[in-house]
Order: sequence, then structure tokens, then C-alpha cells
Amino acid sequence: METFDTGRHISGQFNAELDAILNHVMQMGGLVEQQLKDALTAVTDNNEELAQKVLNSDYKINRLEVAIDEECTRIIAKRQPAAGDLRLVMAIVKTIADLERIADEAEKISKVALEQFSTKQQDFLLNMDNLGQLVLTTLQNTLDAFTRMDFDAAFKVHQQDSRIDREYEALMRQLMTYMMEDPRSIPKVMSVIWSARALERIGDRCQNICEYVIYFVKGKDVRHISDDDVAQVLLNKE
Amino acid sequence: MDKSNNTWFKSGAPWVWMSAAGVTISLISVVGLLWLIASRGLTYFWPAPIHQFDIKDELGKEYTVIGEIYDVEQIPASQLAHTAIDLTGKESVERLLVKTGNRELVSLDFRWLVEPLIVAQSEPENVAVIERRTNGNFYGFIEELYIEGKKVDVAQLPEFVERVDNLQEQISELQKSDIMSINYELERIRLNRRKDELNKELTKARNAQYDSDVAALKADYNELESELNALRAQVQRDHIVVRAMGGERVNINLEQVIEISFHNKMGVIAKFGHFLKQIGKFIGDDPREANTEGGVFPAIFGTVLMVLLMTVIVSPLGVVAAIYLHEYAGKNALTKLLRIAVINLAGVPSIVYGVFGLGFFVYMVGGSLDQIFYPESLPSPTFGSPGVMWSAITLAILTLPVVIVSTEEGLARIPSSMRHGSLALGATKAETLWRIILPLASPAIMTGIILAIARAAGEVAPLMLVGVVKMAPTLPLDGNFPFLHLERKFMHLGFHIYDVGFQSPNVEAARPLVYATALLLVTIIVALNMTAVSIRNRLREKYRALEH
Amino acid sequence: MLNLKPEIAMPGQSTIDINALEQDQVALEIKNLNLHYGDKKALNNISMKIPKGQVTAFIGPSGCGKSTLLRCINRMNDLIDVCHIDGEINLHGENIYGKHVDVAQLRRKVGMVFQRPNPFPKSIYENVVYGLRLIGEKNRRVLDEACEKSLRAAALWDEVKDRIHESALGLSGGQQQRLVIARAIAIEPEVLLLDEPTSALDPISTLVIEELITELKKKYTVVIVTHNMQQAARVSDQTAFMYMGDLIEYTDTNTLFTTPLKKKTEDYITGRYG
Repeated sequence: METFDTGRHISGQFNAELDAILNHVMQMGGLVEQQLKDALTAVTDNNEELAQKVLNSDYKINRLEVAIDEECTRIIAKRQPAAGDLRLVMAIVKTIADLERIADEAEKISKVALEQFSTKQQDFLLNMDNLGQLVLTTLQNTLDAFTRMDFDAAFKVHQQDSRIDREYEALMRQLMTYMMEDPRSIPKVMSVIWSARALERIGDRCQNICEYVIYFVKGKDVRHISDDDVAQVLLNKE
Repeated sequence: MDKSNNTWFKSGAPWVWMSAAGVTISLISVVGLLWLIASRGLTYFWPAPIHQFDIKDELGKEYTVIGEIYDVEQIPASQLAHTAIDLTGKESVERLLVKTGNRELVSLDFRWLVEPLIVAQSEPENVAVIERRTNGNFYGFIEELYIEGKKVDVAQLPEFVERVDNLQEQISELQKSDIMSINYELERIRLNRRKDELNKELTKARNAQYDSDVAALKADYNELESELNALRAQVQRDHIVVRAMGGERVNINLEQVIEISFHNKMGVIAKFGHFLKQIGKFIGDDPREANTEGGVFPAIFGTVLMVLLMTVIVSPLGVVAAIYLHEYAGKNALTKLLRIAVINLAGVPSIVYGVFGLGFFVYMVGGSLDQIFYPESLPSPTFGSPGVMWSAITLAILTLPVVIVSTEEGLARIPSSMRHGSLALGATKAETLWRIILPLASPAIMTGIILAIARAAGEVAPLMLVGVVKMAPTLPLDGNFPFLHLERKFMHLGFHIYDVGFQSPNVEAARPLVYATALLLVTIIVALNMTAVSIRNRLREKYRALEH
Repeated sequence: MLNLKPEIAMPGQSTIDINALEQDQVALEIKNLNLHYGDKKALNNISMKIPKGQVTAFIGPSGCGKSTLLRCINRMNDLIDVCHIDGEINLHGENIYGKHVDVAQLRRKVGMVFQRPNPFPKSIYENVVYGLRLIGEKNRRVLDEACEKSLRAAALWDEVKDRIHESALGLSGGQQQRLVIARAIAIEPEVLLLDEPTSALDPISTLVIEELITELKKKYTVVIVTHNMQQAARVSDQTAFMYMGDLIEYTDTNTLFTTPLKKKTEDYITGRYG
């Protein structure tokens, strides 16, 4: 995969440091992606072992977050980055926070896999898997956009967040129906709802990361603005 | 061996040694020069022992010689072979040069004595050295003292010598100031009358006024003259009788006597006192006997005055020229050419400046000045003849390049930030120059002036053409208005050395005087330089922090 | 339109939009300024408005013309023979390159402080009152007051009040530079030009001077040239980036140092090969 070039600083050491941080972020992204994938698989396959593995791997991500955070602090102190470099560092700092949260959500999802579901209840999980795959793709696209610092890709992912929201609402309605039909299933459904909620949150965090990418590339803050306005702001900029 | 030699060479040690050797040689020559001049010059003032030699010459004639040993040399015996002196077994013979004085008895001040002829040599205590106003020293034994024709005790002598000294001082005071100023006034009246005549303004009233002025002055003059004559009579009142080496009894009028001293009686402290006194006289007195005796005061005065005048002329001129060249002249080929010309001027032989000064300043400028301002005294020139002003101006031109070059260098060394700082505060270029640049350049300007003084004080050749004389009757500075007489000729130590050493009738006698004068000249130049250097150092200290 | 400006104000930062300055907010207006050194063009058609009572920084690589532009503002370039200028610089709507402008008068209105501290070899007092003496001020009391006021304004009074009649050369580099600033403000200019004022100073002295600059802008319009980008970022309200005689980008400092518009600016301030 083609990666973003921090490039052509007069200080080669600065280049190397930025590259190293970006590598760590990508490594972290890879780990988070794996966690989410494993968590979803564990839920659909009801694989307790895999779920356990997800729970046990979270510490790696936490550690990476702390390490990258430190690196960024050090770069700010020593290099006093400006303009693009500054935005990159800020984007990274925020991105890793969101990635860590995504990993936490993945952990929550994997906990569902540890519960026992009846065959009928397995259906909820299958319904959730649709949403899960969609979120996973979004995460992959986000990480991809981040790796390449690709504005277009990031913008696209940002726009697609509504799909996740729709999917999430459909799932919720479905689960509501289940609960009304069979009040005994409410505890199980609740845990599925929590997972779905986690997936929805992951989607939001992916949207955040895309916003950081956009901020980095365009220098425009597009947080808390409607999609139309975002488009307008970005077009005006050109 | 070869290798170690090579490393020694590479270490650079040989260069250190070589440069050290260079410094040593320079140091030795300077110290040697000073030592030679100082020792030869200062011994002149030290009271030498007076020897009495009993001589029995080759013809068997016996006589006595009294005097100071001036020089001792070894001559080969063969040189004396033609004489009848018995020189068997001797390869060389010592020969003494003795200063015997007593010019009225023997025509020569000096006498060679060959050592084998000396029968006895002693230093009699009561031999006197009588320093006289004319005829040089007299060596002999004082036998009698006559006051107003009556013989009195010799022991009272110092008292009467002092009296004569005082009278002589009064006489010279009278002559030099009072009578001279009357003469000066008379001359002025004559010139004024002539001026009026030339301008056709000589009215009867004026003429009568002049006549009465002249009469008044003449009356004054007569009065002074009679006073002078009275003093002269007074001064000639007493005399001493001295027995010379040959046994002759000589009458010496006390009028002639400056000082009587008994060298052989003196202890070291007394000798030292005498030494200092002699130096004082040398510095403070007028020369006597065609410059071969007495002091050199007019020469010192002339030298210092001329150098100061020169400094006053050259400093502003050089500084202004340098400022123009550095600050205002365009940076083009013409300026460069001008600068090269200025630098090359420093290389022109000084006598050329003398010729230029004589031809241009004295004859052309001075001659024109005379025609315009002093037509009354023509045909005798005022400024149209060599004088101290022309000398100072000529030397100022001679030293101008030095001042220009060093001032320019000083200006160039001032950091441009100073200039910019001042300009940025709203100063004009002239204000910046005056308030910032010139004070900062002052050490460099002083360096230029020091170099100029050093060069000017040592110059003799051009001065011989434009103002220096062997013997100036008056100082260029006196009590008659306008006090500073720039048109007068003056005496100069450098020329004095030349004159005494090579032009005087008695070169041998004058030799120590040459050294003494040279020492004095060096001392004066060093003193002038030290003054300038200390001023410069003070300035430099003030602006030191800038030169980082 | 969307207002993307931050809604919280940081202390000491201006919120003036230099692209929409009112006429009375402009201290200096540079119009189509071109400057040649002999045949070499050093400034290329510079136009900008420098706002009143603010700190404007010129940054750019060596030889980009930022110092040259600064020196144009008080006509210090007049000292260079081969320097040829066309265009206008307006101070109060009057072109300083006009025919009847008295340069000395102009320089009293537009003071300048140089890269290396250049106190005159006089006492501290004489340094400060130099400009006043130039305009013929002789009243001792006026001079004394001006001296104290300027030294206070330059944050130097407390350090030197006991020795103002001693040589200025005995001060440290940072003190000397503040003295030079005091000297410049003693004649109460309207604009103060600072040409790399801290490049010869240690970091602490630099911070003191920077603090002083933020104080000075309350009273004077300050224009500063600096090699130190962080310094420009710290002290200035507006920053102009110049490159090879061109004004590449001129905007408020916050924008320039976070989201510059031009690639050249970005490359320069992030330390990339341009």
C-alpha cells in the first residue's frame, strides 16, 4: 500500500521521527482492525476462545497509544512543528485516542461472545453481523485514508457514516420487536444492543479520524458541521 | 638524526627562534643607540677630575700640564720613532688627550701627551675650573682676589661670583627685554611712518606725533643705556689673579666668570649636584662661543614651538582631508587616484619639500604677503624670508599624508552599525560625523598626529631652507605685541647638532655637546610622543569595548 | 458564511483582519515597491498594509529581501549608492519617497534597531538622549525625564538607574539591545523597525526583548525581521513570508503558522527543501 510521505525535511532526523510515529499509528490501526475483526468473528461463531484472545490483546493497543502519545509530546517539545507538521502531529494525537476507544468498543463486543445464546437468539447476532461488517469496512477505509492521508477517501468515508446510522436504527427496531415478542430474551437482546451501540460508536470514531485527515490535508476543521456545509467549506477552499 | 632534524624544523621552532632573533637585534640596536648617546652626552656634564701632569720632554725640558683627560688611545711605537723618546721594548704607547683650556695662553684647548714623557701625575685639590663667558674654561690655582682694587681673602670669592651673576642677569634682562622692546617700538614707528608715506597719509600732525614718540623712546633708550653702562661698570669691578699651569699669573675679571668649581675637592654628592646644575644650564641657557658652549634653550624652544605649530596646522587639515576622501568623495577612480597620490606624497624626499617650501611659500606666498600687507618694510622682507611659520607649514605638508592615511584607516575601522545607529535616530550625515564618528576615530587621528610629530621633529633638511638658522637673535615668542612672531627665524636642535658637530671651529671640543644635544632631541621627541600616546591611550580606553 | 475563527480569545492576540483594514488602522502602506541593487532585483512588486499598533514580522530565508524591505521603510537603503527604488511607501498617506521628504525627519518618525546592539561609546544617559539632543533639546529636566521614561519603557530602568552616567559599553548584550530600543523610543517614533533584534543575544535576553516587544506594541507600530520563526510566531500579530524578493504570503500569524496557503510558505516554516 502506498503510504503518506512526510518528506523532504532538511532535518533527516525529523523525517525519520515522523515516519516512525506514522508507522506506529498504522501498526496500532492494524491491531485495532484485527481486534474488531476477531471480536465480530467471535460473536458470529460464538467462539469463546477468540473472544478471550481479543480481551487479552487490548493491552498492546493501550501500550502503543501511550508510546505514540509520548513520541508526539517529544516532537512538539523538540521540533516545534509548524503548519503541516503541526497538524500532522495533532491529527495523530487525536487519532490514536480514537483508535484506542475503538479497541475498547471491540473489547465490549467480544464480551457478547462469552454469553450463551439459544439458537433462536443466534439470529440477533447474524443481524448484527451485517452492521459489524459495514463498520469493519468503514474502519478499513478510514485506516486506508489515514495511511495515504487521502483527502478524497476520507471525505467519502465521512459521508458514509449515515449508512451505518441507518443500519444501526434498522437493527434497533428489529431488536425492539424481539424484545416485545419475547420478554424473556430481554437480557440477551440488551447485550446485543450494547454491541450494536459499540459498533455505531466505532463508526463515529472513524468519522472523527476522517475529520482529522481532512484537517491535516486542508487545514480546515470540519467537526460538528453538517455534510453539506463540509462540502461547501472544502470547495470554497479550492 | 635526519628525521629528528626534520621534525624539529616542522615543529616551527626555527621560526620562533628566528623571529626572536629579529626582535633581539632590534632591541639591541635601540638600547645601544640610547646607551651610546646617553653615556657620551651625560659624561659631558659630570665634573671630571683635573689632573696635573709633570712632563719631561725628549729634549729634557720640564713643564706642567693641568687639564681634564679627554681621551686615551694606544698608538704603535713606530709612529713615534722619529722622536727622541726612548721606546725600547715597547710596541705601543699610551697617548692622552688633555683638555687644558686657558685659551688666552695657548692657542689650542687640547694637547696630546705621550705616556712615557709623564714624570708625575697628580690631582691637586685646589685646582679650580673657571667657567667663563668667553674664551672657554680656565684651569688654574686662584691666588688673589681684588675687590674694588683692594686685595681681600679668597674665601669670599663665591659671594662675589654670585654678585656678578646677579648683575649679569640684570644686564641681559635690560638688553633683552627693555632695550629690545624700545628698538622694536622704534622700528614700528619707522614702519608706520613709511606706511603712511606710501599711502600718502603722512600729515604733518602725524609726522610730529611720530617724531615726538621717537624722541620719547630715544630718551628712554638713553636712560636705559646709562643704566646699562653703570651696571657694566659695576660688573667689571672685581678681578682675581689665577696661576696657570705654566706658572703664569693671569688676571681674570669676575665679569667673565660664570662659575668656579673645584672638581677634585668634590664628593660624589657634590659632583652629582654639579652634574644636575650643568644639565640645567645646558637646557636653560643661551649658547655661547658660536654654539660650542653654553646651553641650547633657543633650539629647544624653536623645535618644540615649530612642532606644535606644525601639529596645529596639520591636524585639522589632515582630518578634514581624510573625512572628505572617506565620507564624501565618490567611490570612483579619481578618488582612488587621489588616495594613491596622497600615499605617495609620504615617500617624497624631505629636501624636496624644503625646496618647495622655499620656492612656493617663502618667495611666492611670503613675497606676495609682504607686498600686500607689509609694503612699508620693503625691500627687507617680513614673511618673504624663511621663518618659523613657513617651516611649520612646510613640515605640515610633509606630514600631511601620514595624518590623512591613518585618519582614513581609523574612519574605515568604525563599525557601520555606529553610523547607522546615529542616522536611524534622525541625525544627518554631518551630525553623525561630528557626534559619533570623529570621537570614535580620535585614537586613529592621534596615531596619525604622533607619527607626524615623530617625523617632523626629526626633520632637519627642509628646515635649513625655510627657516632654521645657526643663531637666532630673538625667540619667536616674546613680550612684544603680537607676542608670537611667526615671521622670525628660529633655532632647531637637529640643525644645532649639525652645526656644532660639523661647522664649529673646534670640532673636538664640541663632540660631547653633539651627543648631549642628540640626547636632548631624542628626549624631546620621546616626550612629545609620549604625551600624544598617552592621550591616544586614554581615548582608546574610552572606546575599547568597540574593538571586538 | 461560516465563521471559522476561534470564539475564545487568547490574551495579547489581535483579531484584526488585514485584508479588510480601515484606513485609520493602517500605519504603513507599501504599494508596488520594486528595488534594484544595480542590475539585481531585490524586491519585486511588494504591496502590503501594515496595521497600526500591532507587531508585523517579516520572515524568509537569507537574501529574500526582508531586511531590505524593512530598511526601505526608514530609507536606510539611501546609504547604498547602487540601490534604486520605485513604488510608494505611505506613512499617513504621504509617500516617504516623495520629493520634499526630509529623511532625517522621517527617521525620527520611523525608528530602527539593528541586529547587533550598537550603543554609542557614551554614557547610558547620553545614548538615550542622543536623538533629543539632535533636535536641539537642551533643558536638563526634559532630558532627564525622557531618559527615565524611555529606559522604563524598555524595561531597563531598574537595572541601570544607579549608573546611567557610566559607559553604555559596560552593559551586557541584552541590556545593550534594550538600551538601543530605549534610545529609539526616546524620540517617540510612530513606527519601530527591528532588524533581527535578538540574533546576537542569548535565549533569556531574547525572551526579555520579546516580552518588551509585546509591551511596545501598545504604543508603537512594530515591524520586526527575524530569522527565528518561533520568534515571529511568538511575538507577531501579522507575518509576511518573503522569498527571493517576492512577498509570498502575508496573513495573521496564527493562520500562517498553522495553515499557510502557499506551498513555499509551508515548506519554509516546516523546514523542508523548497
